[in-house]
Amino acid sequence: MRRIAIIAAMSAAALNTTALHAEPLKVGIIESLSGAQTSTGRLYANAVKYGVERINEAGGFNGEPVSVTEYDNAGGAPDAADKFRKAVGDGVDIIFQGASSAIAGQLTEDVRKHNIRNPGKEVIFINLGGDAMELTGQKCQFYHFRYTATAPMRVNAMVSAMKEAGELGTKVYSINQNYSWGQDMQAAVAAAAEAGGYKVVDEVLHDVNKIQDFAPFVARIKSAAPDTVFTGNWSNDLLLLMKAVGDAGLDVTFATAFLDQPGNIANAGKTALGHYIANNYDNAATDGKFAETYKKATGHYPIFVEGHSAFALGALQQALGKVNFGGGDINVTKIALALENTTYETPLGPISVRKEDHQTIRPVVVSKVVKNPKYPADETDMGFETVKIIAGDKAIYPVQDSCRMERPKE
Amino acid sequence: MEFAIISTLNGVTYGLLLFMVSAGLTLIFGMMGVLNFAHASFYMLGAYIAYAVSSVFGFWVGIAVAPVVVGLIGMAVERFLLPRVHAHGHAHELLLTFGLALIIEELIKLFFGDFPVNYQMPGGMRFSAFSIFGADYPFYRIFIGGMAVVMFTALWVLLTRTRTGIVVRAAERLPAMAEALGHNIPMVFMFVFGTGAALAGLAGAVAGAFYPTNPNMGIELGVIVFVVVVVGGLGSLKGSLVASLLIGLFSSFAVGLDWSLASLLGVIGLGDWARSFGGLMTLKLSSISATIPFALMLIVLLVRPAGLMGERN
Repeated sequence: MRRIAIIAAMSAAALNTTALHAEPLKVGIIESLSGAQTSTGRLYANAVKYGVERINEAGGFNGEPVSVTEYDNAGGAPDAADKFRKAVGDGVDIIFQGASSAIAGQLTEDVRKHNIRNPGKEVIFINLGGDAMELTGQKCQFYHFRYTATAPMRVNAMVSAMKEAGELGTKVYSINQNYSWGQDMQAAVAAAAEAGGYKVVDEVLHDVNKIQDFAPFVARIKSAAPDTVFTGNWSNDLLLLMKAVGDAGLDVTFATAFLDQPGNIANAGKTALGHYIANNYDNAATDGKFAETYKKATGHYPIFVEGHSAFALGALQQALGKVNFGGGDINVTKIALALENTTYETPLGPISVRKEDHQTIRPVVVSKVVKNPKYPADETDMGFETVKIIAGDKAIYPVQDSCRMERPKE
Repeated sequence: MEFAIISTLNGVTYGLLLFMVSAGLTLIFGMMGVLNFAHASFYMLGAYIAYAVSSVFGFWVGIAVAPVVVGLIGMAVERFLLPRVHAHGHAHELLLTFGLALIIEELIKLFFGDFPVNYQMPGGMRFSAFSIFGADYPFYRIFIGGMAVVMFTALWVLLTRTRTGIVVRAAERLPAMAEALGHNIPMVFMFVFGTGAALAGLAGAVAGAFYPTNPNMGIELGVIVFVVVVVGGLGSLKGSLVASLLIGLFSSFAVGLDWSLASLLGVIGLGDWARSFGGLMTLKLSSISATIPFALMLIVLLVRPAGLMGERN
């Protein structure tokens, strides 16, 4: 009994001392950790945790280690809104999310409203993978930062790299999912036609991850006889489409955005060879130092979205280094302002934030699936080989007219 | 013509796959009145078991073992889980199987990971059966269709032409009387449920090698399978076959047709007027092809609530 009393007294004392100590920075991950998008959500969460560990290794922030909490949004916007309220209740200062633009759209609105209603207790939303243009267009706001490339960045990069390699051809087919991201891709493919010197022979939008059988779409693609098929499809929609095209023996090159999703290369098999992808990061495009560091900490090389998400944390770490609250209250707006002015050097080139809409200006990597690459994917003998790295200032597109950002008073 | 032939071919093979998965569900509902929400999970389980077994013993062993294991799991569910809620009615059975579906999905993720696994058909089956209008037609699609036809024939003969079929049908129609005649009714039900689950497992084992085997395959197909059963008429095997083929053909043809309300109005000269509205008017049929089965279900429920071949009860 007495021992318990002593322990209780000691822990009370310990709690007291922390209370006297500085306010820790709290990071929340509101991600799809169950349901259909778990595979992607888990990877975003991995990378955020990795990044926070690096910050804490370097001494944390404000005299305390940065805390990180996972919230499961179960893959839906309503759940995400719920979990956002919970995170706010827990005192989270910065939230991270990546899988799904729909959820990012919900969160950025929630954050905007919360920040208007609770001055002095603002929250930053760092978007790691919501690619929809409206997030930096109609919905753009000061506390939202997008640390990923959007549809025009990916398409323009792919068009320029494939044209240089002589693999683009003159007839392009555009097949995408019927929601914000797919529509952005379709628009980007149409917009790049002149620069790429191709004609869009047909374009189609289809339901998102509901189609089991892509054979009818393949019949349509076949009758249009394209050289290259552009698609922003991800998950099953990409895999099924690619397999169906391969099974039909059509000779087309795919230009994709998410071919590096784990499992794709193994499942598609030889069909995947020769297809292109434009994304934020690929191990083969670097000198490999970051990949080794990441492997040391997590046990595996960065895959899919892990690499570029870790860079977002790197930028945050750099921004945190610029602000000092002397152990006192954390002013989130000051962190956001510091992040705006941060240029983070990645192994691929610098990443900076465009102040007008908070889209990051970042390099885009274009790769191709080859045999016997440096970093094999999915334990196969295939993987990605870098074709071209497009520097950030070349990849970026003009700020959208619809963005009206209200800046905090300084 | 080319479009019609290819679309028909694609529609029929996809329809046959749908039938293969929904046959077990129809059987279970028709014979026992249990709405098994976990049915598509059995389909997924079949694919994963076949994957696990085939990576050690080869493809065909996997195909053979998967339905047996899934069937046994189905029997266990019928024996130990369902009787506890049976007295509370359909809603509770539905809830129980729904919970089971969630648990199976998370268990699969726990054991096999979140990503699609590399379950492939043997190289010897990866060839094109024939070439049509310049595009290869994969043999495996024909194989899936063939399996479905064999399955339908076998089930139909079993239920209508054999003694076992008579007992099963008697157990469904008049359980008390059948029991009085000395048949072990709970045993019959357990076997029916097991067979239904095994059929889903077989479908998963066969289809999983063609479509990717991932933790979402259950949910993705689950809803559509229910649509098949409702459209075909709850409990009617022939109805399921017809509904599967209908849905397969409708979705296949819809993809190739760029029809919209605007082009329909164009026939009477109002095309440009309709296009100026945009939105719903210019929504193309191909972009909502996955919605067509649900529209079909709506129409069938309005016109013939019992389904195409269901008996009114």
